[in-house]
Amino acid sequence: MNKQALSPLWTHLTSEGNRTGTWRAALPRYQDQPSPCLGACPVSGRIATWIGHVEDGDLRAAWEVLSDNNPFPAIAGRICHHPCETACNRAQLDETVSICALERHVGDAALAAGWGFAAGPERGVSVAVIGGGPAGLSAAYQLRRAGIAVTLYEAREALGGLMRYGIPSYRLAREVLEGEIARITAMGIDLRLGAGVEDAAALEALAEAHDAVFLATGASLPKRLPGLDYEAGFVVDSAAFLAAPESEQKAMTGAHVLVIGGGSAAMDVARTARRLGRRVTVMTLEPEGRLPAQQVELEEAAEEGVAFITGAMLKAAEGGETVTIAAVRVTFKPGETRGQFSVNEITDSAFTLACDTIIPAIGQDADLARWGTVLGTDGPVVGRRAGRIRAGGDVASMERFVTHAIGMGKEAAREIIAELAPDAPLSAPLPGPLVEYARINTAYHPGHPRARQPSAPLPKRLESFAEVQQPLPAEAARREAERCFSCGTCIHCDNCYLYCPDMAITRLFPGYEVKTDYCKGCGLCVAECPTGAIHMREDTP
Amino acid sequence: MDISRYEDHGQFCSGHAACGGCVEALTMRVILNEIGPDAVGVVAPSCTAVILGGYPTSSARIPFIHGLIETAAAMGTGVKRGLAAQGKGDTTVVCFAGDGGTYDIGIQALSSAAERNEDILYVCFDNEGYMNTGGQKSSSTPHGAATGSTPLGKATVKKNLIEIMAAHRIPYIATASPSHLADLAAKVRKARAIRGMKVLIVVIPCLPGWGVADDSAVRVARLAVESGVFPLLEVEDGVTWRIASDKTRPIDAYLAGQKRYRHLSDGEREALQAEVDAGFARLKALEAINPG
Ligand SMILES: Cc1cc2nc3c(=O)[nH]c(=O)nc-3n(C[C@H](O)[C@H](O)[C@H](O)COP(=O)(O)OP(=O)(O)OC[C@H]3O[C@@H](n4cnc5c(N)ncnc54)[C@H](O)[C@@H]3O)c2cc1C
Ligand SMILES: Cc1ncc(C[n+]2csc(CCOP(=O)(O)OP(=O)(O)O)c2C)c(N)n1
Ligand code: SF4
Ligand code: SF4
Ligand code: SF4
Ligand SMILES: [Mg+2]
Repeated sequence: MNKQALSPLWTHLTSEGNRTGTWRAALPRYQDQPSPCLGACPVSGRIATWIGHVEDGDLRAAWEVLSDNNPFPAIAGRICHHPCETACNRAQLDETVSICALERHVGDAALAAGWGFAAGPERGVSVAVIGGGPAGLSAAYQLRRAGIAVTLYEAREALGGLMRYGIPSYRLAREVLEGEIARITAMGIDLRLGAGVEDAAALEALAEAHDAVFLATGASLPKRLPGLDYEAGFVVDSAAFLAAPESEQKAMTGAHVLVIGGGSAAMDVARTARRLGRRVTVMTLEPEGRLPAQQVELEEAAEEGVAFITGAMLKAAEGGETVTIAAVRVTFKPGETRGQFSVNEITDSAFTLACDTIIPAIGQDADLARWGTVLGTDGPVVGRRAGRIRAGGDVASMERFVTHAIGMGKEAAREIIAELAPDAPLSAPLPGPLVEYARINTAYHPGHPRARQPSAPLPKRLESFAEVQQPLPAEAARREAERCFSCGTCIHCDNCYLYCPDMAITRLFPGYEVKTDYCKGCGLCVAECPTGAIHMREDTP
Repeated sequence: MDISRYEDHGQFCSGHAACGGCVEALTMRVILNEIGPDAVGVVAPSCTAVILGGYPTSSARIPFIHGLIETAAAMGTGVKRGLAAQGKGDTTVVCFAGDGGTYDIGIQALSSAAERNEDILYVCFDNEGYMNTGGQKSSSTPHGAATGSTPLGKATVKKNLIEIMAAHRIPYIATASPSHLADLAAKVRKARAIRGMKVLIVVIPCLPGWGVADDSAVRVARLAVESGVFPLLEVEDGVTWRIASDKTRPIDAYLAGQKRYRHLSDGEREALQAEVDAGFARLKALEAINPG
């Protein structure tokens, strides 16, 4: 008999002894990255993350992520100019995600449920915040979370700044404003209402008495229109008009109101006057289609019966039984920087117009002279600082938006926290470049039209100052959240794990790990990731 | 994501010899895990055979018999009958073969097993050519596609294996794609529960053979489905046709992702589009005859 052992007929080893990882030139890496909406958001909100929680029906978690950067989601969800939506990757597939409406959905849920903020453990340092608008309140909120004592000086009798004294209640219901402000004051703030900080000396005294100062006094000086006598009885200051109670607004205006300006403030004046029963004409330098107000504001103003004369300039106004305006048609050229422009009169285009009241609403300047040399004189600069004094919001920036003010308040507070309370936890920003549309595998994102917020019916709108924009119904909000690609944020869908032909990805519950012994570096896991939360980097074992 | 969900029970092992990014390995992963441990496999010479392992190692946890390229269906027949004779009739027998081993060299054995309605699951990994031997044309290579032996593009159309198998009136025929893994797993599950002959044809974009980027085979397979080049369908008893995927886009993006079509003129591309449209319309007509 042949004594030699026969080789076995069948295999007796698995292939796992072959380290195919040696073949590769690249290795996948899991790395959450910022979405384009985050990049455009003035408060750098973690939009992909909180929208994911909305999709899962966990509004509490959504609100916690949202309010890490912005304590005013219900307000921002109503009046933010939402540059996030302009940047949204989904626009390249069908339509941008209704981020702003979803933010309102979360903010409203938080108010309805009465969720509150907790102050951090006291650190024994204090900051003076001057101005209780969105910039000041945002800073106060972040400082209190870090356990820093805050004394807030506000010239008026109530907090909110232009959110209260500028933006009308038909765009921002007052109970929403009160609710989101009360949540911040409940964190324990030494509130000094009716306590304006009047001059450079007072400012310097505060800088001495506190460990830091945040100056957020807004932009309160109205720009002046040449050719108009501001002392005349028929001229009304737009800021004073919007800040006044309804009864006084009636007394301030005649039957036909001429509003000068094409921005948000002008639209607010015009639409407020319509709600008082006035006939309203808006006159703008800009031609149609170039008005600086948001498109939705312009549309709603037109729906509400506001008449527009675009591409025209007021030359003079003469009082009498009625007011007579002399005006001329102009061509308009925008300048290099925001807010700059030049106009040219068109020959033989002069015209006249009769009205009863003129309300110029052409913008505000920051009152910097008041602070003398304390701040320096290099013009409004973002985050302007002078020693222990930092500034933010309208006083320090030409980006005149609520969320910019909130973002600048947050950034200033983070700088102060890093200096005064370095142990206080601060959420780290997401690293890396913004996730591009090409990184999204759209096969996993079926086409679905964008959810639109309903508006209150037209005739009813003019009868009161009730909100025009209505909330998204809950189910529509959840479905809208599903439309979000979650750009750059892992949604733990398992696709990378499931598509690997080499079983080279392990699920860790939560998270994933690449088995470097076997990964051949093909990149299929990356290609089939629906969110762009994983990418290939060079790697030769 | 529901469209890719399936369960992995460790039935297919890392360390196999497939090219990086090969979706044949990926579909084997899904199929072997869905079939489970109570199964015996046979395999014809092909990429599949190479991926399953060089002796003495195997990437599959179930035993596989490596046979001749003509004989996948005949081997499956014998194994199944042998198991049944031992009282192990519930054990699944699965045959793996390429398109060369199915459409061409193994079609006699396949046809006769089908005619006898053998109780086997026959899986054809259809990469539209003899790829493991360097990329020659098979009768599955589509019209116009360049291969090593048709460098100017194949002059004739792809053989219609689905209709050939349907003519045998076997219980179950299905197509599947690595872009729709949950669907693939569901079809394997369904096939396992059916007694008699089952044929599953899976589209496999071959990275070197089709000229596809390493990370793109799933994407190309998806485009094949969405453009109606490779519709996802099921045929029961040879007469009940169900076309599950829609034709939602022209073939341009599908062709553009592959080097084997790069020589086509605009006119040739249009002609291919017309063929695809006609093929899809024919499937819809077959579905309409007997919608099940
Ligand atoms: C009519 C109108 C409509 C607008 N609509 C929108 C909109 O829809 N969306 C949007 O994003 N933005 C809008 N804006 C712009 C937005 O309101 C501002 O950019 C934002 O409020 C700026 O915030 P802030 O905190 O810097 O200043 P403010 O909101 O102006 O707050 C400054 C606060 O400081 C107080 N203060 C001033 N001086 C002193 C002092 N010396 N001592 C103590 N306190 C002082 C003020 O009383 C005020 O409370 C609108 C502006 C106007 C005028
Ligand atoms: C009768 C016979 N002729 C040729 C070969 C060589 N051969 C081995 S695999 C193969 C290619 C098979 O092509 P296909 O079945 O499509 O499988 P693929 O390699 O494409 O996966 C060939 C020609 C063989 N094994 N037997
Ligand atoms: S799809 Fe979602 S995460 Fe991506 S940019 Fe739009 S809102 Fe942001
Ligand atoms: S799919 Fe698998 S083998 Fe390919 S790169 Fe990803 S982990 Fe590596
Ligand atoms: S494929 Fe899914 S699980 Fe994997 S990284 Fe992308 S989102 Fe996360
Ligand atoms: Mg082949």
